Amino acid sequence: MKRREFLVGSALTIGAITIVPSELFAGETSRKFKVIYDFDLKYDTKSFEAKLWNPLPFNSDYQKVRFLKFSGNYDDYNINSNNPYDARVLYTSWSKSDKKKTLHVEMEIETKTREVSLKLIKKASKQNLPLPKDVEFYLKPTEHIPTDGKIKEIADKLTKNIDDTFQKVQAIYDWVTETTFRDPKVIGCGVGNAGKMVESGYFGGKCTDISSLFVALLRAAGIPSREVFGIRLGLSHFSKALGKADKNGFANISTWQHCRAEYYIAGIGWIPSDPADITKLELVEKLKYDDKKVKELRARYIHSWEMNWVGFNHARDFILSPKPEQFPLNMLGYPYAEVDGDVLNYYSPRAFSYKITSQEVK
Amino acid sequence: MRYIFLILALFSLSFAKVMVIHVEGMTCPLCTMAVKKSLKKIDGVSKVKVRLNTKKATVIIDKKVDKKALLNAIKDAGYRGKIISDKD
Repeated sequence: MKRREFLVGSALTIGAITIVPSELFAGETSRKFKVIYDFDLKYDTKSFEAKLWNPLPFNSDYQKVRFLKFSGNYDDYNINSNNPYDARVLYTSWSKSDKKKTLHVEMEIETKTREVSLKLIKKASKQNLPLPKDVEFYLKPTEHIPTDGKIKEIADKLTKNIDDTFQKVQAIYDWVTETTFRDPKVIGCGVGNAGKMVESGYFGGKCTDISSLFVALLRAAGIPSREVFGIRLGLSHFSKALGKADKNGFANISTWQHCRAEYYIAGIGWIPSDPADITKLELVEKLKYDDKKVKELRARYIHSWEMNWVGFNHARDFILSPKPEQFPLNMLGYPYAEVDGDVLNYYSPRAFSYKITSQEVK
Repeated sequence: MRYIFLILALFSLSFAKVMVIHVEGMTCPLCTMAVKKSLKKIDGVSKVKVRLNTKKATVIIDKKVDKKALLNAIKDAGYRGKIISDKD
């Protein structure tokens, strides 16, 4: 399939599945965003070959890609999820030439407030049901999410004498949100190296760092969990620290990639959480851990997400398809590109270059 | 003309060395670029290839390039290097 525009309707294949039943959502509200990616790949030399892997959102009960359309002067492309995490990727490539390398991607994304009732979580947690086989995958360590050593020590200490799964989650969540802090000097979302964080004893980081620590501790405590890489799409109704837009609902979201987390309780399914945004709220609004607004967000973000955001995948330390020069890839929240074998700086939209915008559709 | 290029290439290779360095601390694809850029700043380094999966940097250098300069360049980029092979 070469040099053609491709239009995919709402029948996009589902890349990841949530098993949370829709009746669990309270006060469900829907939002729609038109998201546009524009690429014009840059390199030191005039003539170069390029390969680009761009993450695409998964479909679930709480987010749907209503349409996806893309065009450009690429020589080849495919949409694939050929990796252990079913992470959906739009792959495009350009052969060596001195022409511009452009790609335009448009999506309409519908999201719904994602909240799982605490009452139901606590009830299911007490039942201690067996885990489904496929969920056990999210108990395994990866290069950046170790479950032994110091991570295990901390997890054991935090959950000592606690039998109930949700109470264990609560203990780990409280410790992570209190111990970590947002370090604005960290580039992008951070590497998410939970092992290094506990070994160094430095708990400053950004969303991937903090979510990965939460995930590693939960896995070490025997609770399936995973990061969810995605991007903020617009205005937060809770705080401008968690998403902004102009008066028309428009936002340049090129640097708004954001990593959240989920944990699994049998009988309920995957439950949303976002420990990193607690630290962002504290930093941006200059609040303390025990301030009322922080307390309110802490209570919300152990079982809900505000959906001014869309998720791409749960992939860590994996290999993209087709196989790039560099692997494994730490995470895929940003576009990833290789030019003549060199990796473009995905943390810098200008150097790469790409622009991502979002328009909320009323 | 082709022969002149061939002779020049062979001549330059006789003054070149291939160093393979184990680089510790690289965690993502961008780390390989940081190591590559730092090594390429050294005079006498003609080609650098860094691989994340093997954690190895292969560097073609002039024989006059000090090995310590290579390790320092890796250190400046924020990683630790250890020479594992050094061939003429």
